[in-house]
Amino acid sequence: MTAPALAARGVSFRYGGRAVLSDVSFALQAGEVAIVLGPNGAGKSTLLRLLSGTLRPASGDVALFGRPPADYSRREMARNLSVVGQDPPVDFPMSVEEYVALGRFPHLGLFGGASPGDREMVARALASAGLTDLAERPLSALSAGERQRAAVARAIAQDARVMLFDEPTAFLDIRHRVLFHEIVERLAEEQGVGALVASHDLSLSAEYGDRIVLLAGGLVMADGKPEEVLTPENVFAAYGVEVACDRNPATGAVRITPVRRRRIGREPNRDPK
Amino acid sequence: MRPLVVYPLLGAAFAGAMALSLATGSTHIPPGDVLAALSGGGADTAARVVRELRLPRALLGAMVGGALSVSGVAFQALLRNPLADPYILGVSGGAAVGALIASLFLAGAFLPLPACAFLGAAMAATVVFLLARRGGGVTRERLVLMGVVVGAFLNALIMMMVTMAPPGKIPGAIYWLMGDLGQGTLPRVFLLAPYVLIGLVALMTMSRGLDLLLLGDEAAFHAGLPVERVKTVLYLTASLLAGSVVAVSGLIGFVGLIVPHGARVLVGSAHRRLLPAALLLGAAFLTFADVAARTLSPSGELPVGAVTALVGAPFFLALLRGRRGGP
Repeated sequence: MTAPALAARGVSFRYGGRAVLSDVSFALQAGEVAIVLGPNGAGKSTLLRLLSGTLRPASGDVALFGRPPADYSRREMARNLSVVGQDPPVDFPMSVEEYVALGRFPHLGLFGGASPGDREMVARALASAGLTDLAERPLSALSAGERQRAAVARAIAQDARVMLFDEPTAFLDIRHRVLFHEIVERLAEEQGVGALVASHDLSLSAEYGDRIVLLAGGLVMADGKPEEVLTPENVFAAYGVEVACDRNPATGAVRITPVRRRRIGREPNRDPK
Repeated sequence: MRPLVVYPLLGAAFAGAMALSLATGSTHIPPGDVLAALSGGGADTAARVVRELRLPRALLGAMVGGALSVSGVAFQALLRNPLADPYILGVSGGAAVGALIASLFLAGAFLPLPACAFLGAAMAATVVFLLARRGGGVTRERLVLMGVVVGAFLNALIMMMVTMAPPGKIPGAIYWLMGDLGQGTLPRVFLLAPYVLIGLVALMTMSRGLDLLLLGDEAAFHAGLPVERVKTVLYLTASLLAGSVVAVSGLIGFVGLIVPHGARVLVGSAHRRLLPAALLLGAAFLTFADVAARTLSPSGELPVGAVTALVGAPFFLALLRGRRGGP
């Protein structure tokens, strides 16, 4: 059996004496979209930083295609793994195309000359993020959703087989959230990219995730198919919120809806005065 | 603007500045005689003035202006702060201390002056860097703040050393501190040239890395840049450029701050285009400024640092006020 694209084995991490992650294990396969869910402070971002080699685990180990991140040179690492953070800089002083072309950096030679192949990769990345028409625009003129797509396009141009996304849709409207997930789904299906997405959107994660990893208090509470993980019991245990889980009649995916707690004596309508 | 239009324009501006600088001086020399002197003809006084005074001065001004400008570009990318330059960071102050020690107290120095200034600049840069470092990372706010504090301390050192200098050397040292291209001789030009050349080549090879640093450290890291190593090399290179220039021309302010902004307007922020544009624009700017310094005052010569500050300070203020939310 070949090594998974990205794996954590018994990974723990402390920050200032506080355990942020305890004994976390999981593996991401090529072509798979795994979504990490969990409340704020559950350790999602820390997990992504450990996996990307930004942080080193206190114990346990991380392996990218079977090798620890420390074994890779920076450029080699970037050719195998890309990371999209929450927001690209608002005031970045370049055009969309120049910004996306920065993703080619780990593939360039010493003097940084871009080949026709590099330019073609940039054009393809722009097209798959739906930004071809905006390529010449300054990045600062884009909307939040378009800017986020530009960040995704830069990661696509980087052409790594594993892609990590840290709450990429946090500030986006529903249309841009759906667009984001469809781009990632295509990358996984067509190019065999293994994608790990940290998110807060339970229903969308159930719709687009091949797998859900539910983190709470620095532990993996559940890991599996969306319908196995996203049960009312698990969601309550992780988030402390009562939810109802049913199926989306159109797609059959799990649908999670919060259950509003009714207070006695409170009318649904405002007091007419 | 298209680079194909911008670079010839910048080249023309630079050539114009050089021509003006060669044609301007206290003695009037007709353009024909200037050309003749440059092509090696003529052995009279006029030809010697052109070859031994005006040409070295013009070359030195161009080199100093270009080096300060690309050093400013490097510091601005390094700190992701458009208001950064060698002066704000205390690097020039360190260079001045190094150069003063060499020229005032180490007569017959064992190291060339630019090397001593570079050592001073690098030492100041290292001290600022270490002071600003906290918990493994360097924030740009702390770095700028430490630069200002270290710069103030170095200024005090400079004043002390100047007052302790042999009396005959004091006026020259003060004039040099204000920024002076009058020391230009061909040997000085050749002394400075290798430092500037090394610095330029190093920055050009790092131009993509400079672009990536604008994304922030973490994003640059994930894009494949060995961030800490590149930043260290960049800091040393920018210090080499600023330091070696201070050694021959003293403290000329605002060039490293203003020229990069002008160059960005012309060619954008991608460093492969920005660095050459800043080099040409800076060379033209300081050469023009030096012509102004030599001709504006009826009773002699202004230090060129005074001219760049006269032009630069209002520009800097306009820049500050134009930025919403401040620097």
